[in-house]
Amino acid sequence: MTQVVNYGLVLLSLLKQKSKQRLLFLGLLTSFSVAGEPVVFGHIDAPSSLRIYSSFDLVIFAPLLERFVQRNPELNILYEDINTAELYDRVIREKADPIASIVVSSAMDLQIKLVNDGLAQTHISSYTEALPNSEKWRNQIFSFSLEPVVMVINNMLFPDAALPQDRSQLLQSIRRSGDVFNGKIGTYDIRRSGAGYLFASQDARQADTTWGRLLEAFGSHQVKTYCCTSDIIHDLLAGDLIVGYNLVGAYAYEQVSNNPQLTMIMPSDYTLLLRRTALIPKNAPNPANARRFLDFLLSDEGQNALRNPALLSPFAFDKSKQTIIDETNHPIRLIELDQQLLVGRDLAKYTRFINIWEEALELLPDTAE
Amino acid sequence: MMNIKRLIRKVEQLLFSLKNKGMPYRFHQVPSLRRRFILAGSILIGAIALTTMQLVSGYSQKLADISYDRLLRSAILQMDENIISINNKVSIDIPWSAFATLAQASDDRIFYRVESSRNGFITGNKNLITQPPVPSELGKIQFYNQDFSNEEIRVAWLERATTEGNSQETVRIVLGQTRLAREDMSADISIKTTRIIMFIALVAIVLMAVVSHLVLRPLRRITEQLEARKPGDLTPLKIKTPKETEQLKVSINHFMDRLQTNLAQLENFTSESAHQLRTPLASLKALAENARDETTPQKQKRDLNNIVHQCEKLSQTVTMLLNQAVVSHRLQTQNLVPIDLVKLVHQACMEQAVTALQQGVRLSFDSKVTKAMVLADAFSLQQMLNNLIDNAIRYSDTKQGPQQVDICLTTGTQIGQVNSQAQHVMLSVIDYGYGIAEQEKVRVFERFYRGHYEISGSGVGLAMVKDIADRHQAQIRVKDTQPKGATIEVTFPLRTSLSAKYGK
Repeated sequence: MTQVVNYGLVLLSLLKQKSKQRLLFLGLLTSFSVAGEPVVFGHIDAPSSLRIYSSFDLVIFAPLLERFVQRNPELNILYEDINTAELYDRVIREKADPIASIVVSSAMDLQIKLVNDGLAQTHISSYTEALPNSEKWRNQIFSFSLEPVVMVINNMLFPDAALPQDRSQLLQSIRRSGDVFNGKIGTYDIRRSGAGYLFASQDARQADTTWGRLLEAFGSHQVKTYCCTSDIIHDLLAGDLIVGYNLVGAYAYEQVSNNPQLTMIMPSDYTLLLRRTALIPKNAPNPANARRFLDFLLSDEGQNALRNPALLSPFAFDKSKQTIIDETNHPIRLIELDQQLLVGRDLAKYTRFINIWEEALELLPDTAE
Repeated sequence: MMNIKRLIRKVEQLLFSLKNKGMPYRFHQVPSLRRRFILAGSILIGAIALTTMQLVSGYSQKLADISYDRLLRSAILQMDENIISINNKVSIDIPWSAFATLAQASDDRIFYRVESSRNGFITGNKNLITQPPVPSELGKIQFYNQDFSNEEIRVAWLERATTEGNSQETVRIVLGQTRLAREDMSADISIKTTRIIMFIALVAIVLMAVVSHLVLRPLRRITEQLEARKPGDLTPLKIKTPKETEQLKVSINHFMDRLQTNLAQLENFTSESAHQLRTPLASLKALAENARDETTPQKQKRDLNNIVHQCEKLSQTVTMLLNQAVVSHRLQTQNLVPIDLVKLVHQACMEQAVTALQQGVRLSFDSKVTKAMVLADAFSLQQMLNNLIDNAIRYSDTKQGPQQVDICLTTGTQIGQVNSQAQHVMLSVIDYGYGIAEQEKVRVFERFYRGHYEISGSGVGLAMVKDIADRHQAQIRVKDTQPKGATIEVTFPLRTSLSAKYGK
């Protein structure tokens, strides 16, 4: 009944919790978790519950969820880890009768689209009011943490002595070393991952020529595409990949700090900064719980529970909190949380972009779609 | 207008009912000028302020639409510039900047739909089906409001022929935006202007209250001065007042002046009348005592005759005093009416003729005209004639045998205007008696002045004549009669000349 799959991680808080509460259910923590089987935080028989659809890696999110159920023992959290694109589809599918009360995603553009289509409900509290205007939209979507989009390199396998610090250096390395990189480059499958599409479209918007050449290089070296950052890290650790491009920073940071053969690089030409956002679907069940959770997410306690060197707090980018972003002086490209993101999701633009991407990477059109 | 009046009355009634609770007596009067002024002014200012606010609110909506329609226009034009053709199929590559423009309306949702006449839907919201209210010409952007996705949205609509591709087709771009930012802006403008308008209205009302206080101050000062006076004080008001209340002050002063004169006359009359009655009474008493003390019936009879004689005189005096009282009252109250002087004089002569004959005087009346209309009070004029004739008889020297008194009426023009119409009529009463000494001629019209003490008479006669003449705008003069005696001339303005003069 109790099943713990530990992927090289020890979640002390969870284990402590387990010793206190016999019925604590620990689900699968990573992408290996079976879809539709939620991880439960808090008492399984709690009178009230809060279902969260999330693409946030549980290893980073768990302490906050733990803290929340401790504070609110009368409810439990049913946490479902879902890929960003599927998460969006589910919310659309369930819009008449939503199952989740909170939707957390790194695919900011899809979240904005949900709000623009009127699928989110308004929440105003002292916590949301304290949030800067750039970190929320319409009081329906709220950013609760920011993190860089990074490259991760297996330094044992990298052919050059010096690791590339930006995109053009990476491009040079690939071109120089020829076949070494064949099948050893991993990145998001932008057809399956909403976050992956967001990063790619922002890259295309930022630096058209570099991005084009990089895609071309990826294509000529049989790039591998993934659904999730965790899978790329897995293959990097296993030595199946040398370079992972466009990975979410917080999770990558966790892994890199535990595995010395991996190096995390924030590209110095520009580093994308991603916002993790949360929203409450319209007509969501247990809206009061959802609101309480959102407020907790934005409270000092919630923000402290998320404390991680790769994560920034949206609250005025607190300088006293040391993060990896603060250590760099790279140009930072913040992805704005507003209507502009709708452009990237324009049907014509999306179709065209996917076609170009598939052609460049020499991939067959995704028949699964 | 009617409504405002009714409203003012209602508010006044309300104010009164409120005040009446505290002060039961004071407020049953007509509402004060000041309160009416302030109330009417406030309501007027309020109405103006309300109308202005209404206008401003309509205008602010327009203003907000104008401002944000610019964003919408800019965005749709940027989209329009990026209509492209791929494999002969029309498509669009929406620039990021287009929506960055729209993001300036920070909280507004965006909906759009792009379609072509040949291939139909290209991209955007499939359910955004819309049509401008007026059919639009190609290439012209239309703006209108519409409900979509449970909200009112502002739509920019553009259809144009495309030059991309080979075939003749049109592309239609529909770009919608919710109205939050517009409503915010319009509300912001409205609230700000409303505050300013309210402030101005308040200041205006306060100023009006202050000004009304200042304006009504002269009236209040006149009232205060009048109220502070002692009961008998009828001296004129001496305060300085502005032009508008100056006339009121003058009228009050004039009225008080007349009151003063009347009072003085009344006082004089009373004291003089008492004086008049005391002398004959004293002489009556003396005569009666004489009669009582006389021993022979002949002497007693003589005394009693004297008493009777004295009584008649007293009776005459009383009658005259009464007449004078009546005349002076009439002079102040009666209006003058046109009267034929010839007829009136003739009548007076007839009445006096017998009495005159008894005293040995023959009256003669000679009129040079048949009719002479004057504006007059008949009773007063009769009294005047009686007095004049009575005087003339009394001053005739009847000891010298039968005498004559002539009464003449002549008309005349002013000197030098021989042939023009007569402008006045002159009444002359001529006696041939003792005459009046030169130094006394001006004094005969004073009250109780009697030139000759041996002639009985009240002494008020000529004074009354003068009063009556003055009231009729008549000139009165005393002349000597040749060879002896006195002539009194009274010159009345004729009615024709009067009416000509006053432009009747």
